[in-house]
Amino acid sequence: MRKNALAGWLLLAPALTLLGGLVLFPILYNAWLSLHDKHAFLTVHTFVGLRHYVYFAHDEEFWNSFYYGVVYAGSTMVLQLLLGIPAALLLNEAFRGRNLLRGVVLFPYVIPTIVAVMLWKWLLNDSYGLVNHLLVTTGIVRVPLAWLGRDYIMWSLVITSVWQFFPFVVVTYLARLQTIPPELYEAATVDGATAWRRFVHVTLPQTRNVLFVIVLLRSIWMFTKFDTVWLMAGEGGVSRYIRTLPVYAYARSFTYLQAGMGAALAVIMFVLLLVATAVYFRVFRQEEALA
Amino acid sequence: MRRAGAGRAAALYAGGLSLLLVGAFPLFWMVSTSLKPSGEIFATPPRLIPAHPTLENFQRLLADTNFLTFFRNSVIISLTTVALTLVVSALGAYSLTRFSFAGRDKVAGLVLLTYMFAPIMIIIPFYILVRLFGIANTRLALVLSYTTFCLPFCLWLLRAFFQSIPIELEEAALVDGAGRGRAVWHVVLPLALPGLIAAAIFTFILAYNDFLFALVLISSDELKTLPVGVNDLFNATIVDWGMIMAAGVMITAPAVAFFVAVQRYLIQGWGAGGVKG
Repeated sequence: MRKNALAGWLLLAPALTLLGGLVLFPILYNAWLSLHDKHAFLTVHTFVGLRHYVYFAHDEEFWNSFYYGVVYAGSTMVLQLLLGIPAALLLNEAFRGRNLLRGVVLFPYVIPTIVAVMLWKWLLNDSYGLVNHLLVTTGIVRVPLAWLGRDYIMWSLVITSVWQFFPFVVVTYLARLQTIPPELYEAATVDGATAWRRFVHVTLPQTRNVLFVIVLLRSIWMFTKFDTVWLMAGEGGVSRYIRTLPVYAYARSFTYLQAGMGAALAVIMFVLLLVATAVYFRVFRQEEALA
Repeated sequence: MRRAGAGRAAALYAGGLSLLLVGAFPLFWMVSTSLKPSGEIFATPPRLIPAHPTLENFQRLLADTNFLTFFRNSVIISLTTVALTLVVSALGAYSLTRFSFAGRDKVAGLVLLTYMFAPIMIIIPFYILVRLFGIANTRLALVLSYTTFCLPFCLWLLRAFFQSIPIELEEAALVDGAGRGRAVWHVVLPLALPGLIAAAIFTFILAYNDFLFALVLISSDELKTLPVGVNDLFNATIVDWGMIMAAGVMITAPAVAFFVAVQRYLIQGWGAGGVKG
């Protein structure tokens, strides 16, 4: 190990300049902005203190966005686990074609969001979509559902998002499954444990930490997801039935051009995540998981 | 190990088949639709495989829209981002693993903290800054934003890879008379190759996929990237599903090809770090 501080800092300088200038500084600037009234591109600004925060506390649209965000992040996270964990368990077994399937299952995660959303809008199209065709011909519903109308738009968004992001759960969980010592399973099998009991008594305790991380990361990332939600319904019409906080922050900043208010929403989102993360760590007491 | 019973095998294959359907069928449907003539796209009942496959959707996409311009912009911006990110993060990671200086571990922790920020939380100040520097509506603005957003992950990933390379190998090369630069180039980088490739894939996919920065920072049509450009096409008129699915196929092809070619490195990278998205 060299003790050459200057060379060390010099090599780090490009990375630190970019991170400092384009992440840390904007974060501080954002906090400052949230205390001001500022147009998105005119240069004038006036100090308003905490007025934006007080405004949002009484803003029905804000509370709706918060509610939709929690519904969206919560339901997609749970469904990703319900789909991803069995898939990972399956892909951990030995069978012909397993490696091919391991590749295929990653496709949804690799294709760009714009494609995933357009594809699902086509599958869920009310008149010509394959999903409605199957539902009607199998007699599950009598008339085609308006998947992209106000009653089902949240369902469509959740389906699309779960499909797009469950591979993350598969890969992360599978990576951990592969490191469980086979002796543990052999011992359990000798003791006559059924597959379900082996899962509960060997697999779950072994994968507790990775599950902790998966739930944390997926919840944060779904709560702050912008592109999938935005592309699903844009800004007009039914978009108000899936308008989560990131989309609301975007609309405030770039549609109403109220940069100060948008900045305040970003701060609120950050604080919410911080509090939720702190509570999560307290409840599950697994500080070692991220180490 | 017990010999696998027939019931167990059947269950495995049933599970495998459903997983195959979930993962691949929507994509199959996209390809199938893109090859159908317009009459067939709206046929009831829908046909799984086009009866009269045609490339007319692709022709319309390439001839009547700016698709190729968007495509070129996306590729240029993504590849530039990959090159810049690899250089900056390799230098930084090398510094974090091979030099000791006061504050080094603080820097490493700070990097991880920035990784927790979603783009939507800094897009507003970012937009104002970019306008202030006069680089709004340029490719440079996008390359800089993607590089910054990929840096934390790539720094952490490469740091883990560099840490796993014994420092003695490098010292041996130095003793043999190689300069430090040559030692790094011939000894360290080849050993860190899987990490570099994983970082490159991650960066490419993030840059190629991004919608928010491109939506906010780019206003002129000739500089738009695929996600924003194609979304415009989608919103422009009555949706031409055949053409939109053809666009989907063309956008997906480079991402999937890139991915399939280096998939095993990517899985190593996932093990070492985690992927954002």
